Amino acid sequence: MITMQRVSKTYETPAGSFNALRNIDLEIGTGEFVAIVGKSGSGKSTLLNMIGGIDRPSSGLLSIGGTNIQSLKHNELASWRGRSIGFVFQFFQLLPALTVAENVMLPMDFAGVLVGKARRKRAEELLDRVGVADQADKLPSALSGGQQQRVAIARALANDPPVILADEPTGNLDSETSAEIFRLFAELAADGKTLLVVTHDAEAAMSVSRTITIVDGCVA
Amino acid sequence: MIAPRWRKVFRDIAGTPLRTALAVAAMAAGAFGVSMILTSYSILTRELKTTYSDTRPASAILILDGPVTDAIVDFARRVEGVADAEARPVIGGRIRIGAGQWLPLTLFVVRDFRSMRMDRITGATAIADDEILIEQSSLGITHATIGERVIVRTSDRGEHPMRIAGTVHAAGLAPGWMEHSATGFVTWNSILRANAGVESQQLRILVNGDRLDERHIRDVAKIVERAIDRKVTRIDVPTPGRHPHAAQMDTFLFLLGAFGALTFALSAVLVANMIHALLVEQLRQAAIMKTLGASTRQIASLYLGQVSILAVIALAIGLPLGISAGRAYARFCASMLNATLTNEMPPLWVIVAEVIAGIAVPLLVALAPVWRVSRISIHEAFSNGAGSHAFGTRPFDRWLARMQWLPRPLMLSLRTAFHRRGRLILTVATLAVGGAAFIAALNVSAAWTRTLEADARARRFDVQAAFGRSYPVARVSQALATVPEVEQAEYWIEAGADLGDTRVSLVGPDVNSKLLALPLIEGRWLKPGDDAAVVVNQSLAGLHVGNDLVLRINGRIVRWRVVGVVKELAPHANVYALPETILRATRQPRDMTRGVRIVTRRHDVASQVAASKTIEHALDRAGILVGGIRALDDARQAFADHLVIIKSALIFAALLVVLVGGLGLTTTLTLNVIERTREIGILSAIGATPRTIARGVVVEGVVMAILSWCVAVILAIPITFALDAATGQMFIQSALDFFMSPAAIAGWLLLAVVLAVLSSFHPARRAARMAIREALAYE
Repeated sequence: MITMQRVSKTYETPAGSFNALRNIDLEIGTGEFVAIVGKSGSGKSTLLNMIGGIDRPSSGLLSIGGTNIQSLKHNELASWRGRSIGFVFQFFQLLPALTVAENVMLPMDFAGVLVGKARRKRAEELLDRVGVADQADKLPSALSGGQQQRVAIARALANDPPVILADEPTGNLDSETSAEIFRLFAELAADGKTLLVVTHDAEAAMSVSRTITIVDGCVA
Repeated sequence: MIAPRWRKVFRDIAGTPLRTALAVAAMAAGAFGVSMILTSYSILTRELKTTYSDTRPASAILILDGPVTDAIVDFARRVEGVADAEARPVIGGRIRIGAGQWLPLTLFVVRDFRSMRMDRITGATAIADDEILIEQSSLGITHATIGERVIVRTSDRGEHPMRIAGTVHAAGLAPGWMEHSATGFVTWNSILRANAGVESQQLRILVNGDRLDERHIRDVAKIVERAIDRKVTRIDVPTPGRHPHAAQMDTFLFLLGAFGALTFALSAVLVANMIHALLVEQLRQAAIMKTLGASTRQIASLYLGQVSILAVIALAIGLPLGISAGRAYARFCASMLNATLTNEMPPLWVIVAEVIAGIAVPLLVALAPVWRVSRISIHEAFSNGAGSHAFGTRPFDRWLARMQWLPRPLMLSLRTAFHRRGRLILTVATLAVGGAAFIAALNVSAAWTRTLEADARARRFDVQAAFGRSYPVARVSQALATVPEVEQAEYWIEAGADLGDTRVSLVGPDVNSKLLALPLIEGRWLKPGDDAAVVVNQSLAGLHVGNDLVLRINGRIVRWRVVGVVKELAPHANVYALPETILRATRQPRDMTRGVRIVTRRHDVASQVAASKTIEHALDRAGILVGGIRALDDARQAFADHLVIIKSALIFAALLVVLVGGLGLTTTLTLNVIERTREIGILSAIGATPRTIARGVVVEGVVMAILSWCVAVILAIPITFALDAATGQMFIQSALDFFMSPAAIAGWLLLAVVLAVLSSFHPARRAARMAIREALAYE
């Protein structure tokens, strides 16, 4: 599903150039549930950003589901991302002005998936799946952190993407809620989604099928 | 069903009322300013053109030396090139407006009120031969009411009780209140016409062909002159197609247009600033939407849609307000020009243009920031400090950082003010342009006041009287000797002459006179022995020292040498020469005079006016017929009244720009507070009181105001120069003396600081009230 060959990423900063990733070779198959662990600044998030097409590699080859990411133009990348990748962030990143259901419908709106009431129906189904169906018409600010993160997961699933990327999805949640979120991820993996989760949570990482440790920009 | 992304747009608009309000206010201010100015401009240009041309203004006025009979008029009508002709004798007189108080009165004799062929008036009714129809703009200054009997004095000393039968509107005449002189209309058989000697016998003609071609008009008038069986003493050709106050109007419209463009530009800048700030706030959300698969085009259309909605709301507020303000202002200006507006609706194209501009301009200025937000990479948006430089990365920041001797809170305010460099420059520039316009407006106003004061120093007499005919100097001086208020009197030689088609006045002051000290633009003043030398004023443009002045006096040609050019507060042409020079040319006797210039014991306006009453009374008793008597300060006031419209336009336009500038300041301060929410939270967390935080915001505003003041003062210099030249040229054919008014400069500093404090009130309160938790949680 995901293939990385000698992928490197270098940032130019006022303090000099900084190698965030060095010659990463990685192969992740469909339905794998992968935890990416490592210290702060080791390059975990950078790796996730590369896979999600948020950032581009400085060198190397990156292909996801057979698509060579580097060859996509800015706009092609956006629509590819909308259909192929679901993002879950540490701070949830729901749009504050939209209700829970509307947040979930937004990716469908951008990608032109489904129409009219079908979108709402799908949003409700997804919210039901993550256990917050009763919150559909509330604004994100009325929800707890755990509930917001569930909504974010429902939103990530909106266009039924094959890959879900989560950057410290439990970093802001208590341990019980964290465990629930990871259970949800495991279910998704069981359904055939490929999941990559950057996490500090050693306990939660136990539930994954594979762990990749990043040290100083390299796979350990 | 509305797509969620568009719901986001609506909720963002409704959910951030403060920011939305600021953005709408910025756009509405622009829409208001532009629509107000465009509305008044378009109404005035359209209406004044038609109200004046609808009166069918005469092409030329021939002044005859005897009565204009119907036979002459009929004959003139048949002359080739003449479309129409009409007799319109003019009686110069005065109207009594109080005990011993008289106001100059010009009465037009109308052959038939029912069929006025040219210089038409509206509102005329049939009146009796002892009645007057008074021009509407004159009624107020006569202190009379309709139906009242007033005393009219003609230049043959006749006093006639006349009844004011009603008012009429003569759109072709300058407003009486502004001229300090009343105008009225009487019948052909009016009792005032008992003595034809008091009349100026005017034959008015309207030419065929090009009525705007002055040369053609003169040619036709010359043909009429040769054709009729009467001596023509003078031919006047009013500037074709021009209202007597057209020059004022032009200056006014020029200022209106210039300030309109300025308001437009400033509000566009303000809107750009506002939209930029709105969108910077949206960077992170745009990035989230991108991770959800939104394309650049989708995000751009979202934000452009948001701007369009705000623009439509702003237009809905600004446009109607601007149009009604523009209509009110057009009405005010029309009254200044004695015009009535028959149609107060702005033309359709104005409304269409305003709507298009009101939506297109915000969209245009939004393009760049929208493009930036839509194109930003997710990585960049999610990384810290997206959209701004970190403080300390630029040399100026480091220089500011070294200023550690300042109190720390003040230091923080300064650094904050300078942090958003682009926004600071825009804010300061907007406010500075408004300030410069304000200072320049007051400067020009002060320059006019100084011009009037300079005239008081240049013409040092208090009262000037003109007689109906010549009287022996001894007789006049004997009469004046009985008036205790009179300190000194001088009898200057005066006559009229023609310079080509221009009527000029010849003035021969006593060679040793101390009453006249006009400032020289070039050359020198007259001195004894200047036989054929003259000094001219600036109204005779193109004449310089060394030129020959060729005049026609009583049919004879004289040639004099110009030795000096003076600047004086007179819109008409004066030629100064030694009395002997004029006497020789006009063959007048030396001991006769047609007027007197008097210095009174006290020089204030009230004393001048009181003295002129006593003087007139004394002259009257001595059998001397006074054609006109005027206190000089009163005349200066009449001149100042002509400037009201210009000053009002200047101040009004400047205030509009100041309003936009003040709005810009509020916007910037509010945005700075919003963006610094987290920083304010930290400040509170480490012990800053709400008062300290609020003070910081106010100081930030005041720093910007002071900066803008410095720029405004510099910027005001060229603007003042331009306005001095423009308004001076219109009224006295010469630029005003440049003057920077200290009061204006100090006034703007005060106003700017007050504006800053007022503008920072809301942002400061918002900052002070913010809870620490809320502020620290702010994304």
